[in-house]
Amino acid sequence: MNPFASRISGNSWVLPVSGLCLVLGFMVRAAAITDTTRNDRLSALDKTQQFRIGLGTIDLQQQYLGLQKDFEGLQGEVSKLRTENDNLQKTIGTSGPTSKLLNQSLQDAKAFAGLTAVDGPGVKITLIDSKKASFGPIQENIIHDTDILSVTNELFASGAEAIDVNGQRIVGTSAVRCAGPIVFMDGVRIASPIIVRAIGDAKTLMGGLNIPEGVLDQIRRTDPSMVQVEEVKNMRIGAYSGSTDRKYAKTTEGK
Amino acid sequence: MIFLLPMLALLIGIGLAMLLHVSPLGGIEGLYVAVACMAGLDTICGGLRSGLEGKYTNDVFFSGFVSNIVISFGLAWLGDKIGINLFLAVALVLGARIFTNLSLIRRYLLTKWQDARERKRLQELAAQAQAQSQLQADAGA
Repeated sequence: MNPFASRISGNSWVLPVSGLCLVLGFMVRAAAITDTTRNDRLSALDKTQQFRIGLGTIDLQQQYLGLQKDFEGLQGEVSKLRTENDNLQKTIGTSGPTSKLLNQSLQDAKAFAGLTAVDGPGVKITLIDSKKASFGPIQENIIHDTDILSVTNELFASGAEAIDVNGQRIVGTSAVRCAGPIVFMDGVRIASPIIVRAIGDAKTLMGGLNIPEGVLDQIRRTDPSMVQVEEVKNMRIGAYSGSTDRKYAKTTEGK
Repeated sequence: MIFLLPMLALLIGIGLAMLLHVSPLGGIEGLYVAVACMAGLDTICGGLRSGLEGKYTNDVFFSGFVSNIVISFGLAWLGDKIGINLFLAVALVLGARIFTNLSLIRRYLLTKWQDARERKRLQELAAQAQAQSQLQADAGA
């Protein structure tokens, strides 16, 4: 006889307990959170637990990264197609005086809308998160979406003709949104340092930015090292590379 | 050694359930079964404890297993029906009970181990004393 068997026979409880352990195993399996039941179950849990369980799943993150890669690829394609479109319009423009005039106004409209790259003098503003600790409910030491918004607003108010933020051209439908530690600029993630470039009269732009108690002063009050402004002799601001699709707004041609 | 069989049985249970395609329950029922699982775990810990203490009886164990599962499932369900988070109460109480049971099991094992060591030490001491008295007796003779 092996000692194992004698120990079990000496303890009457081992076998029943093991039997119910078997049953418990079935129940554990029935209660388990798996890929198929995750979505159902998550909604029944509270927020913190949802977060804990969500931490263990990396599929979402990978999906996100995949989509972002697709997005970047498509963006490159869009700018390539737009350059081709420009070239086509230019060749049409050379074929006659009327079409030349038409093309001229088309190019003007596109430059105004931010669909073409533009060159010119202007200013470059660098906004950096402060290394100082912050106190209070709103973290004053980091650059927020509202900081970017007020800076671009001030630049447009001072006569800027083209602005980009970390390479994202500001157009009529541009949106800046806070997303925790980062900022979404037209759906593209940007983070400190945030570089805002604006084409326009450099002196006027600087004047507008440096108004006492103006936008930059408010940031400088927290930490002067958060803001750097410099004049630029000549720079190129790229074209808008996002979507220009319209679904609901209809043009009222000829009315 | 004695815990090996229940643990093995638990793993076999999970494995069997997977083999037989017991699909995990979705939605709120899954949550109720989860809390029932806690009740089962608590009863099994209690069974182990009483077994080690020598107080184990089959009827108490089996009735405890079934009734704990049904009660915890029912309480969680009732709580959601009447808008009180009784689920949390059940989870809290069962969690505390599992902790208590496990700590009692640990203490029992620890005491057993310490007793065995103490007994061994005493036996060695006795053997030494005997050898010494033997030596003295030899010298006297």
